[in-house]
Amino acid sequence: MLQTLQLYRRLIGVQIRSQMQYRLSFFVEIAGTGLIALLEYASLALVFARFETLKGWTLGQVAFIFGLAELSFGVMDLFFSGFDPGYFGQFVRRGRFDQLLLRPINITLQVLGSKFMLRRIGKIAVGVGIVVSAVGMNPIDWTPLKVLLTGTVVVSQVAFFGGLFIIGATISFWTVESIEAINIFTYGGSMMISHPMHIFPTILRNFFTFIVPAIFLNYYPALYILELPDPFNMPAFAPFLAPLAGLWMLFMALVIWRFGIRHYQSTGT
Amino acid sequence: MAIISVQNLSKHFKVFKHHRGTLGAVRNLFSRQHTIVRAVDEISFNIQAGELVGYIGPNGAGKSTTIKMLTGLLVPTSGELLVNNLVPWKERQKYVSRVGAVFGQRTTLWWDLPVIESLSLLQYIYKIPADRFTANLKEFRDTLELDPFLDTPVRALSLGQRMRADLCAALLHDPDLLFLDEPTIGLDVVAKERIRQFIQKINRQRGTTVILTTHDLSDVEKLCQRVLIIDHGKLLFDGALNSLKERFSSKRELLVEFAEVYDEPIIDSAEISHVDGSRVSYLFSRDDISASELIGQLSAKYRIRDLEVREPEIEETIRRIYEERLLE
Ligand SMILES: Nc1ncnc2c1ncn2[C@@H]1O[C@H](COP(=O)(O)OP(=O)(O)OP(=O)(O)O)[C@@H](O)[C@H]1O
Ligand SMILES: [Mg+2]
Repeated sequence: MLQTLQLYRRLIGVQIRSQMQYRLSFFVEIAGTGLIALLEYASLALVFARFETLKGWTLGQVAFIFGLAELSFGVMDLFFSGFDPGYFGQFVRRGRFDQLLLRPINITLQVLGSKFMLRRIGKIAVGVGIVVSAVGMNPIDWTPLKVLLTGTVVVSQVAFFGGLFIIGATISFWTVESIEAINIFTYGGSMMISHPMHIFPTILRNFFTFIVPAIFLNYYPALYILELPDPFNMPAFAPFLAPLAGLWMLFMALVIWRFGIRHYQSTGT
Repeated sequence: MAIISVQNLSKHFKVFKHHRGTLGAVRNLFSRQHTIVRAVDEISFNIQAGELVGYIGPNGAGKSTTIKMLTGLLVPTSGELLVNNLVPWKERQKYVSRVGAVFGQRTTLWWDLPVIESLSLLQYIYKIPADRFTANLKEFRDTLELDPFLDTPVRALSLGQRMRADLCAALLHDPDLLFLDEPTIGLDVVAKERIRQFIQKINRQRGTTVILTTHDLSDVEKLCQRVLIIDHGKLLFDGALNSLKERFSSKRELLVEFAEVYDEPIIDSAEISHVDGSRVSYLFSRDDISASELIGQLSAKYRIRDLEVREPEIEETIRRIYEERLLE
């Protein structure tokens, strides 16, 4: 275990060092990803310039959810960018994945260590900023449990988004032409999570409740923390299902990933 | 006990019918229409430890597919494969730790890292003991002349330099076997020669078993005691290159420049293949007459200014084997 961690650290070290070689472009990219995140938030905030609330939620409340999702997606992208479906598809087609299979170490660890998008720090910073300002906008009655829950939500969402990426990467073993479809799946998932679920049509919401349990990763914890009523009458423990939902997603993704590797080894590309 | 044993090994690929456009992309996901490509078709051979074997065949013959199965990257469709007493794809991590591989078209090294850092990362990955690493690195730095570009990032290396760095990377952990898929592709004559000498040295001094694929037959001629020929997935030949030459070699050629222009300078034991004024070329076969006898006969009848004997080239022989399918 310790060895695995050390190995991971070294692989990541390589990535960081090579990104630092191009210092200027590195900082430009950090600023760039930050700016994109900021623009996304601005376009959300603009909605509130015209309407007081979004189906009953104030800007501060929506921003709380939005910021947490933004922050978590950024952290995930930092660690899981080796699995970014668009990148990974090319990685496989260029034979780089074969090169990893020739090395005597765990393949999943190697893919994790094959890319580390340090520039996502920009997005993460903006995410933190949005969360902080949202906390300021809401009169939240903080308890230790709420603080703990907020931290747990971030970690769980990282696991959830990581699972989405891994599933997307696995699909690219079969096809790269459908990369658009895969992106709808991954980025669509993050779009759902960064908005209050009650604004979506029932069928979509049901999908993200019972099939892909995204609703427990953001909406329910937010209801609890912001002390809002539950419009769907879920059991009282619903806000605390976040870690389960996140780990479940990651676990399922890894199962599918194993299957994908076996498929790859029998078909090649 | 053979280090590689291959029994009726096959790899078939399903190639799905491809529909174009957006709707096509959706159809592709569900379409089951396909054809089967028999990339490798029931091949069998054994290789003993310490051999240096050339694996040749025309484009699309199945060479890379075989190498990928041997290195554990691909799972065979059927047949048996045992290398170093392991089934490569089943015990991947254990297996690859004793094997080195270089695919000429791509690198194992980290693109943005200086060569030396890639190598020390590999030391860590393969858990190479410090003394072995130091000794090997020292040796390879000499023989492969790595020093001038040890601190250069891999992306900035020339093809020849990159190949040398990759060979070094594949051998640092003292593998029992070395697989080379087109190690001389795209290199100039000098670079090719250097790589050949290195491969030979590794094979002789360390006893590393080497299998290499190539389109350059001089690689095989200079390096390999034994050659395997594959085409359309089938193994056509397994043996010494010389015996192939003897079996299939085309005729030898004698080019003569006469002192004057003769009308028809015929000779019994050879046929005229080309006439250009006073220059005439004859084809003759080793079985009928020796070169010196032929020259003797010619000079008895005609006045000769200059002459040259040309041996059939191995390239020519192999080309005929591929094109005329002589082995099937
Ligand atoms: N992943 C794959 N899916 C479908 N067909 C494949 C795949 N890989 C190889 N093939 C087919 O299998 C056959 C053998 O290919 P292979 O790459 O082994 O040939 P090769 O002998 O290495 O040729 P070359 O000298 O051009 O490198 C070819 O017809 C190729 O198109
Ligand atoms: Mg090939």
